[in-house]
Amino acid sequence: MIQKKVCMVGVFATGKTSLVQRFIHSLFSTKYHSTVGVKIDRKQVQVGTEQVNLLLWDIEGRTPEQEIPESYLKGAHAVLYVADGTRRETVDQLFSLRGHVHSAAGDVPSIVALNKHDLKDQWIVTPADTAKLITGGFHALTTSAKSGEGVEDAFRWLATATLTAPPTPTVQPPVRHGN
Amino acid sequence: MPDDGAPLTDSAGGTRDLGDVGVRELSELRDLLFGAERRQIDELRRRLDTAEITPDELAEKLPQAIVQRAARDRQLALALAPTVESAIKESVRRDPREFATAIFPVLGPAIRKAIAATMSGLVNTINRAIEHSFSSQGIRWRVESWRTGVPFAQIVMRHALVYRVEQVLLVHAETGLLLAHVPDGSLGDADLVSGMLTAIGDFVNDSFEPKKTGELRAFAAGDLTVMVEPGPRANIAAVVRGTPPDSLPAKLQTTLETIHLQWCDPLTAFNGDAAAFTTTRPLLEDCVETVLATDTRAKAAGLRRFAWVIPVLLLLAGGIAWRSARANRKWSAALARLDTEPGIAVIRSERSGGKWRITGMRDPLAVNPSLLMASRGIDTNDVVARWEPYVSTEPALLLARARHVLTPPGGITLSLRSDTLVASGRAPAFWIVRADALAPALAGVGAVDLSHVTPGLPASMEPIASDIESLRALFPAGSDALDQAALNTIATVAAKLRELVKAADANRYELRMQIVGRADPTGAETDNLALSRQRATAVRDRLVSLGIHASRLTVDAIGSGDPVPADAPAERARLNRSASFAIRAQPSLNANVAERQR
Repeated sequence: MIQKKVCMVGVFATGKTSLVQRFIHSLFSTKYHSTVGVKIDRKQVQVGTEQVNLLLWDIEGRTPEQEIPESYLKGAHAVLYVADGTRRETVDQLFSLRGHVHSAAGDVPSIVALNKHDLKDQWIVTPADTAKLITGGFHALTTSAKSGEGVEDAFRWLATATLTAPPTPTVQPPVRHGN
Repeated sequence: MPDDGAPLTDSAGGTRDLGDVGVRELSELRDLLFGAERRQIDELRRRLDTAEITPDELAEKLPQAIVQRAARDRQLALALAPTVESAIKESVRRDPREFATAIFPVLGPAIRKAIAATMSGLVNTINRAIEHSFSSQGIRWRVESWRTGVPFAQIVMRHALVYRVEQVLLVHAETGLLLAHVPDGSLGDADLVSGMLTAIGDFVNDSFEPKKTGELRAFAAGDLTVMVEPGPRANIAAVVRGTPPDSLPAKLQTTLETIHLQWCDPLTAFNGDAAAFTTTRPLLEDCVETVLATDTRAKAAGLRRFAWVIPVLLLLAGGIAWRSARANRKWSAALARLDTEPGIAVIRSERSGGKWRITGMRDPLAVNPSLLMASRGIDTNDVVARWEPYVSTEPALLLARARHVLTPPGGITLSLRSDTLVASGRAPAFWIVRADALAPALAGVGAVDLSHVTPGLPASMEPIASDIESLRALFPAGSDALDQAALNTIATVAAKLRELVKAADANRYELRMQIVGRADPTGAETDNLALSRQRATAVRDRLVSLGIHASRLTVDAIGSGDPVPADAPAERARLNRSASFAIRAQPSLNANVAERQR
């Protein structure tokens, strides 16, 4: 079985942990976040005939001033960025976050989850914002921890991308625009 | 020679002018005839002129040249040494990790070999000393077994497990992904544990300046220890139950080095597929082991003759500590016993000036505290006691006081029902009158119940009954076996009982004898009750075998509940390991009926 290390990063309170909680096998409690700063879970994804074991490093959400420890990022095969679709600054901060991740883990396959899509009335990410992400080299899709929308897609895309990477994955993620 | 013909050569040192065309043709001809030779000559001349070697030539000759020169003398090595040193310095300066990675597989064994050679003598000595100091473990375990009441086999099992390496994980250093894991299926979430181990290692490295403190190598949780040995590309982690031996890190490190050496390429190219590492499992399985204390064996003889010093010193130190601890334990036990004694209340006790000092209150009828302490192994010369007299209303003391004042005859048993003094049995009429008058005056007695007392027997029966009731068959501690003295007593009882039966028949009395079994207060009351019943039964069986009809005999067991009183605890214990006798006699109903019918 193939194993891949996937880091899940995002600024504070973008809903990373609750986004994946329903979809993963978890051994450790969430208090690891506040003590060690990371919690490791497992997600199995079937890609073609291959079973891929994604070891998901759910790294504690930091404030924009704090940086994610490089040691947690090193060796990552893929990165799942999580942004909050109801807070534009979390989307804007993705670019600086990516710079940090690149310096620690290299240019590995990554995808952006624009989370909290269930909060339609508070949603402020416009198609223009999404376009900016895509032109900036990001793959993005909308997700919801509440409805489960997009989560399995994100994992399957990441797993496929890690199997074909390097070079940069040719698989195109399903891009959905917010309201 | 024709005049217009061109000369074939100018070798004759021709002075004739041949013109430009002639020179060119001559040159061509020369090339045709001697070209190859000329080039060889030119090359030779050039080599003679320059006396230098081209890089191509050097590349061709260098390996052979080095071999030849190295075989001849040390000049080459001496010449190369400074350059090689500079190159290594430069390499380390640029990136120490590259160099560390390169020499990692050989570094560990080399260091260990050097250290092992130097230390082996010392280590052997220490090992043997330890082995000898443990040679008394069998005795210690027996003592522990005896002290705690746990079977010896269980004590051995409890102490025998030194350590067990339960699981070994091979973890990719950079990603924290699991490469291999033994034993199979022992840890369902080994991949998660492997990741978390790496994360915790990273966390420690980031938090505590590992350059100064070193990396996270071990952590413990209760009986479990997780030992981590780091390598450049992979780490090895062992989960150990018990106390991991000092040799375990070295063993793990050796395994890790072997894996780095033999799986170098798969480790470098690792991209999530751990299939290549299933073949490391036999190596990892070598690290899984269970060691019991009984596995430790002396391996060689050497400085063994000095090893006795350590156990002797340990014994001496232990002896002193044990004596002191034993004295304290004995004192605490005696004090606790004293405090439970009816009519004695310990208020304060302390150790000062090399003596035990004790103050408290004591009912004059309570046991003598000094005797009690002496019976518990306390040297009463070391005890300074001050007892204030008081009247205790504890049931045992109250009964003792009642016995003291009322002096009941042998057939009477006194007991307490809340604050009512109950007498039962058979007594002369004058005693009944006296008890009725005196008992209510006793401190703590609210009322007296004499309804269970039957007036005394006819004069021909009374002395025999009293004789029987004064007798007591005594038993050894914890036993219902009848020794010779007890057999003699029972024989006497049997003889007197036959006499009494005759007298009873003559007086037309129905006669029964109750056999009352007792036990001393040592041990659990349920056990004492059972033992006292066995004692009474043993006496009954003996009486039956001596010809006494079983229907005359009843068996009663009271354990240590209503002890026969005595001043000294030892004497009281002796008297209560007994069976005593009580005569129950009343005028025969049948006889009366027969008389009436007559």
